[in-house]
Amino acid sequence: MEGVAWLLATIGIALILAKISDSIIERFELPGVLGELIMGMILGNLVYFGYVAPDYLPIVSGMGYESVLNQIAEFLAKLGIIFLLFLGALDTDIEQLKKTGVTATVSTILGVSVPLLLGWWALMAMGYPSREAFAGGVLLTATSIGLTVRVMMDLGVLRSEVGAASLSASVMDDFLGIALVIFAVGTGGLFELSIKIVAFFIITGVLGWYFIDHYIRFAERLHVEKGILGMAIGMMFLFAALAEGWFVAAIEGAFMMGLILSKLPEGKRIMEDVRAIGYGLLIPFFFVHTGAMLNLKVFENADAITLAAVLSVIAIVGKIVGRGFGAWITAWGRGRDFLFTRKNFWMSLQMGIGSVPRTEVALVDLMVAIHGGAIPPGDAPKFIAATLIFITVSVLITPPLLKWAFKEEIEKAKAEKAAQKVGRIQETKEKIKELKGSE
Amino acid sequence: MDVEAALEKFHSLKVSQIMPKPDTMPIVTADSDLLNVLKLLRTRHHVWVVKDRGSMELVGVIRYMDVIDILLPPESHRFKLGMTSRSMRSLLSGAARAEDVADRHPLTIEEDATVLDALNKMRRYKAQVLAVVEGERLVGEISLRILIDEFLRLLRVGGAQWKG
Repeated sequence: MEGVAWLLATIGIALILAKISDSIIERFELPGVLGELIMGMILGNLVYFGYVAPDYLPIVSGMGYESVLNQIAEFLAKLGIIFLLFLGALDTDIEQLKKTGVTATVSTILGVSVPLLLGWWALMAMGYPSREAFAGGVLLTATSIGLTVRVMMDLGVLRSEVGAASLSASVMDDFLGIALVIFAVGTGGLFELSIKIVAFFIITGVLGWYFIDHYIRFAERLHVEKGILGMAIGMMFLFAALAEGWFVAAIEGAFMMGLILSKLPEGKRIMEDVRAIGYGLLIPFFFVHTGAMLNLKVFENADAITLAAVLSVIAIVGKIVGRGFGAWITAWGRGRDFLFTRKNFWMSLQMGIGSVPRTEVALVDLMVAIHGGAIPPGDAPKFIAATLIFITVSVLITPPLLKWAFKEEIEKAKAEKAAQKVGRIQETKEKIKELKGSE
Repeated sequence: MDVEAALEKFHSLKVSQIMPKPDTMPIVTADSDLLNVLKLLRTRHHVWVVKDRGSMELVGVIRYMDVIDILLPPESHRFKLGMTSRSMRSLLSGAARAEDVADRHPLTIEEDATVLDALNKMRRYKAQVLAVVEGERLVGEISLRILIDEFLRLLRVGGAQWKG
């Protein structure tokens, strides 16, 4: 077989294994992305350990694997990141977000700042350069909303005050996590970067926001097959190109286009098609490719494990303390009297624990930081290993922690259900008595 | 009237000429109980959700197919980036009111648009129903059922040899 045939076979194997492993991991009520990462790790290490020649399995890239096929695989993975962010933004309800309360807003700001600053400081203390340490901090900022939603749903507390605030805060966490990576990978001085950011938001945000209606109407008038989808994706790529050119972060453009489109019913209608392209091909390939970037040889020295341990601790403690304290100081809008109450403490702790899991956006930030040069090639394997470890730790630790934090609510709900059952039995007994009496 | 003439007339009709009045449409307010919405959906293909009956400000729409997301257990939902809005509709996620499950971006059309405009929009976005709005106010609806009824009425009024 020729090179292209091996690449096609690799994509095929990656997709099939990604979907199977996603399904297996979801059965354990864990994010399917973990399965995709593990499959990628297995495939990648078949190459790293010499069991399969790199030409026959071009799933890895960088780190000495620079053939055209490897570069194509890397490009496909980059497209996966772009589609993931585009889809994430398209699925956002901006109107709902505007209604976000003070508690969610303050806890988001602290929930992002504390792990960011702690991570930045800790990595600097470990001897990493400031830019790289900042990128490490950024990896810790975003929350994976999916797992929290799922666990809270299972516990029956998703629509509670804490549940609603957690949801809003997690969406805003993602926004900030995606935006902050610009400062890690952006080139030039702070002033130049700031000007570029303002210009980018004016061009894409303001103009896009006001002209998107006309653009979609124009696309409608073309009367061609999937014309609106094609025109929307085309504009998304232009935004991504601008962001890549200015900040080495194409995701910012994709995310911005998704947000702009999300305000239109017509924009929401293309979501199914974007989902099909994204989750049918590019996004699972991105996760498998990311997993494949983890060379297990990195664990031959203790650096990666130390980094993983530091990032894991900060990822958990930083979020619980940051977001939890942010919720606590607002006293949930109930005034000073509520501040030092037991309820305020527990609600804030629940809010903090709900923000612990990380998955997609941390991986996206990691890849952007590596490709953008904020994390140099020499340190990339360590950061990949550390990120995959802290992601795994965070998703494994969250469900039991949330169950513990919500134990009172769960027991109360159980007691209510039991009381209802007793009531129903009593009612039935009385009815039987009545019937017997009437006979 | 032959089919061609009927179609021509049909296409040029204004939406406002054939849309039903809001009081005959399936409409609930945002705070309506989700179970009442489900009761309505036993016989209707969609339910409009408005802020209140006074303002009739359109909040969203709940379509027949949305019931699948509402009734599915948590393990059937996928909690991934770009997919959370669907799973939030589940009854098991605690969704209890109409606004919890409504699609907040329903496709709309203006009163003075023609039937041809409506058909084009329906084809383009694979939609079976459009909200007719005046600003943010819901004033009517156009569904495939209404369009079929109107087309058949035109043929019959014209005395064509329509074969059902």
